[in-house]
Amino acid sequence: MIKIQGGSVEKINLCKECAKDFSFLTEKDSNNDLTRILYRFFNSGANEHHSTRDKKILRNISYSRNRKCPFCGIDLKTIKKIGRVGCSNCYNEFKDVLFPIIKSIQGSLENKGRVPIKTSKKIRLEKNIKDLKHKLKNEIVTENFEEAARIRDRIKKLENSIYDR
Amino acid sequence: MTGKNFYLLESKTGKKRSGENKNKIILNTRVRLARNVVDHKFINLSSGPEKNVLLKEIRKYIDDVKDFKDFRFYSIKNLGKIQRDLLFKDYMVSPEAANKMQGKGLFIRSGPNWGESTIIMINQEDHLRIQSIRPGLNIIEAYKEVFRIERYFERKISFAFDKNLGFLTASPLNLGTALKISVIAHLPVLAISPMVADFVKKLNQVGYLINGYFVGHSEIIGNLFKISNQVTLGKSEGTIVEEMQAICLNVIDDEKAARIKLKESDPLGIKDNIYRSFGLLKYAKILSYEESLELLSILRLGLDLDIIDGINDFDYFEIMGKISDSHIITDLEMSGRVTDDELDSARADLIRKKILKEI
Repeated sequence: MIKIQGGSVEKINLCKECAKDFSFLTEKDSNNDLTRILYRFFNSGANEHHSTRDKKILRNISYSRNRKCPFCGIDLKTIKKIGRVGCSNCYNEFKDVLFPIIKSIQGSLENKGRVPIKTSKKIRLEKNIKDLKHKLKNEIVTENFEEAARIRDRIKKLENSIYDR
Repeated sequence: MTGKNFYLLESKTGKKRSGENKNKIILNTRVRLARNVVDHKFINLSSGPEKNVLLKEIRKYIDDVKDFKDFRFYSIKNLGKIQRDLLFKDYMVSPEAANKMQGKGLFIRSGPNWGESTIIMINQEDHLRIQSIRPGLNIIEAYKEVFRIERYFERKISFAFDKNLGFLTASPLNLGTALKISVIAHLPVLAISPMVADFVKKLNQVGYLINGYFVGHSEIIGNLFKISNQVTLGKSEGTIVEEMQAICLNVIDDEKAARIKLKESDPLGIKDNIYRSFGLLKYAKILSYEESLELLSILRLGLDLDIIDGINDFDYFEIMGKISDSHIITDLEMSGRVTDDELDSARADLIRKKILKEI
């Protein structure tokens, strides 16, 4: 039997029967890596050493275990249990707790992968709208209402194209 | 109805083998991409009706579309236990996907070779998962296939995306690119060599994982390992592909080097081991799945090292699927209660038929 655990490998020769007693991998473990990682954070075993960062994460979690995500209603306790979040908004809602964990799993919090066409378009449009709104304010201040109305219509059009697909 | 068709779908041209030699250490490649639809709850929280609505919505973009005409749709809730197990064995759909079946759908296209398929999964762990598997080491081809399909959906569906976290997934383990590449490697000698500790450490450091593919009670069965990228965020898709490719080539070299070393240091021992396995496979009347895999692994090694004759050159990955309980039951059209002994004896027969040149 070959035991791989946290980067160290041991080879132990055992018969099948003895190996059963050595089981360290339950089915659940192999199915759900995240649960295992979260488990490490949530269950601070007495003899386990925690770094300051881990301690901070633990503190955040225990303070807010009943906090709920307003979009999907999931709480942190459940996220911990199932190892999955309930919706996109969870990542924002539980930022303080999840981001350090994500950082520790992924090693980064900065996406370097591709950006979807639609999203990049949306980001671009949102920026356009922001610019136009700024312009609109200026036109109103200078009482250039004709131009202001024109800009207002353009903003409306852009907003429609983003939100009412 | 679906159940029966599901099995018929499996390619009849499986005999056509791709690249005779190259599949022997890296047996299989899988590339999988996860996406979620914007402003929808993720699957673990959405209700049955919500899933059905989403399933219908996504199906709309696949049904009757020319590009997808050779895909076939299966609703998981209509599949029996054995068919669902075949999904895992033949199409490498995660076994968890079989639970809570409401609203789950699969579009499957089988390629001409064994272990070649493309699957669009709806309402599995994420709303949409696109997966392509290829025999041997074939990351780039599978990657292209997956992204070709993703680009199509991208034009139809807005995906949940965050500029820092990338594509948002139900599990934080998939954030960012949401791209998972995994290969199954047959490493009978590397697994017992002292090099393996270093090797695992090295992989972990760069964000890759190696696990047993079949894990029994803590032991790895059949010397099969799954190597995959753990990190999905902070690297581009291209980087993940390149790194994975480099790791695989390294694994092949390391295993080959370990084999040569072993053959030189203990030629009699290895020959003895291989012929013992041969003897067991040839004469045993009852073979469990686990034992079969162990023996076939050694025999495969014997073939690779040119140590054994009298047996056919077999595809380890293919035979691994064909001798599973579910495949035996389906292939032999067994019905009613099948005992373990019946299965194990059918398995022993099947292996003999497949690998012995003369019976």
